[in-house]
Amino acid sequence: MSFYVKNKDEVIKTIFIRIAFVILLFSPQVEAINIISNITADTALLSTTQLRRIYSMRQAHWKNGTPIVVFVLASKDPLHQKFCKEQLRLFPYQLDRIWHKLTFSGYGVAPIQVANESELIKAVKSTKGAIGYVENLLEVKDVNVIKIND
Amino acid sequence: MLMSLKLMIRSSKLFFYFVSSVCSVYFAFNANAAKIPDESLQVHGFVAQGVIDANNSNFINADESVSLELTEIGLNASYQLNDDFRIAGQVVYLNGGNRYHAGPRLDYLLLEWDAFHNESWQASFYFGRVKNNHWLYSSTRDIPFARPSIIIPQVVYFDGFRDIAVGGDGAAVKLSYSDDSLGEIDFNFSRGKSTISNKQADVILGDLSTGEFGHDLDLQASVYWRPANSQWRFGFSALDSTFNYDSGNLDNYSDGSFTFQFYTANALYEGEFWEFTGELFQERFITKDFYFSTFKRDEVGQGYYLQARYKLQKDLSIMARHERFYNNKEDKNGSKLEQNTGGLVPAYFGFHNDTVIGLSYDFSSDFRVNAEYHWMQGAARLSPIVQPDPVANGSKNWQVWAIQLMYWF
Repeated sequence: MSFYVKNKDEVIKTIFIRIAFVILLFSPQVEAINIISNITADTALLSTTQLRRIYSMRQAHWKNGTPIVVFVLASKDPLHQKFCKEQLRLFPYQLDRIWHKLTFSGYGVAPIQVANESELIKAVKSTKGAIGYVENLLEVKDVNVIKIND
Repeated sequence: MLMSLKLMIRSSKLFFYFVSSVCSVYFAFNANAAKIPDESLQVHGFVAQGVIDANNSNFINADESVSLELTEIGLNASYQLNDDFRIAGQVVYLNGGNRYHAGPRLDYLLLEWDAFHNESWQASFYFGRVKNNHWLYSSTRDIPFARPSIIIPQVVYFDGFRDIAVGGDGAAVKLSYSDDSLGEIDFNFSRGKSTISNKQADVILGDLSTGEFGHDLDLQASVYWRPANSQWRFGFSALDSTFNYDSGNLDNYSDGSFTFQFYTANALYEGEFWEFTGELFQERFITKDFYFSTFKRDEVGQGYYLQARYKLQKDLSIMARHERFYNNKEDKNGSKLEQNTGGLVPAYFGFHNDTVIGLSYDFSSDFRVNAEYHWMQGAARLSPIVQPDPVANGSKNWQVWAIQLMYWF
């Protein structure tokens, strides 16, 4: 594609295409974080507030009664930070605070932390009622993908 | 069950028993932890060591020297027995110099019953030794990375009362509600009492007492509300507790009783860079007999702290806080206290103020260093509270600095 075009309409069209391309490139959908769950969780759709409830340990069971097992990466992991801000709309320190309070006061349990994304996928696949997040869905099989609705 | 729990709890051997049991159970269940985590069992812990110095006060030690008495170690385990029941326990070792007695403690040991749940509601009951979950930092006051500073606001979280305020043997209820329009609401209720050892009693009463100090009853309730999609959270709490004192042989004190009522209101704002916290309270402290028979004192004290935190960089934050407290709202500067004691107790024993500045740096997700400096004023939050020591604390103004390294898993 070149800027040296004669027709004015073509110039406008070119600019629009380029803008659309840039928007697409930086759009959150391109590198969106996907929420995955074990196949025993019969939920295909969650709202942001429901997801927040699950990760802040205020909802401990799926609709079918299966206990929810929450998996996460370390709080400084870039994927975890992105997940908190984009999907939960919480700052990672807010979640840390909730989880530390539950864990060290005895009033509850915190999510299970795993070392990396592939371990997280493996854990979600093999744990009944598990929920987790991944950046790239292409390689992930045998899990339930949950759509997040605002 | 509670009686047998209490008997067990009195033995310090339980600390070592608990640690070894947790380790063996953890390794037995989680031998392949790296492959597939066992979601029923969770084991967590922390280690923190610091250096601290208090000048012009015996807050840490009598000779006011730089001290390593800033050690906090904890280990906990939680095991999900089935869908409805869970057991959890934590042991801690604390050494804070004169702030509280040094040694191991069974922090909590409880059975949780998940009585009811649906998408919006969760109702849980806790039986055994439960922690105080009513004030902003009451359940995490000993957890170095889950509290706002190394020395937490003494106006609310007075270290001299730590062992009786941290929790008790009894039961607690937690009722949580969340929905998209009201937000998140938590209601907590607890009833129990603390077992007060002689060492703990010495921190409160001083070493001139030879009798037994007991905790009769402790009732607490609190409610917290975070409006939907809000970065604010608000809370209220109320506490009513009674204590008794049975004098011993050749005791300087008589039999007596104490009533302590404590009401707090708090607000918390959590932003990306800024965080604001405020907690204000009113307390009523009634003393009957004790100093001599027919003695009676009924005082209402008030206080607050305001705290701000700012994230300077990704892993570095700065904190500033101001605290204020006076024992008697009719005598805010303590002049009546000095007058009534014939000058024996200086006026500055009637109040406690603190201005703090602190830094916190995260080396990683589980390793942090905190550093802070306190400009303190007044001696109303120095132990022992019933036996002021103007010789050791001869100055109205005193200072504390501390640096603490902490690791958790």
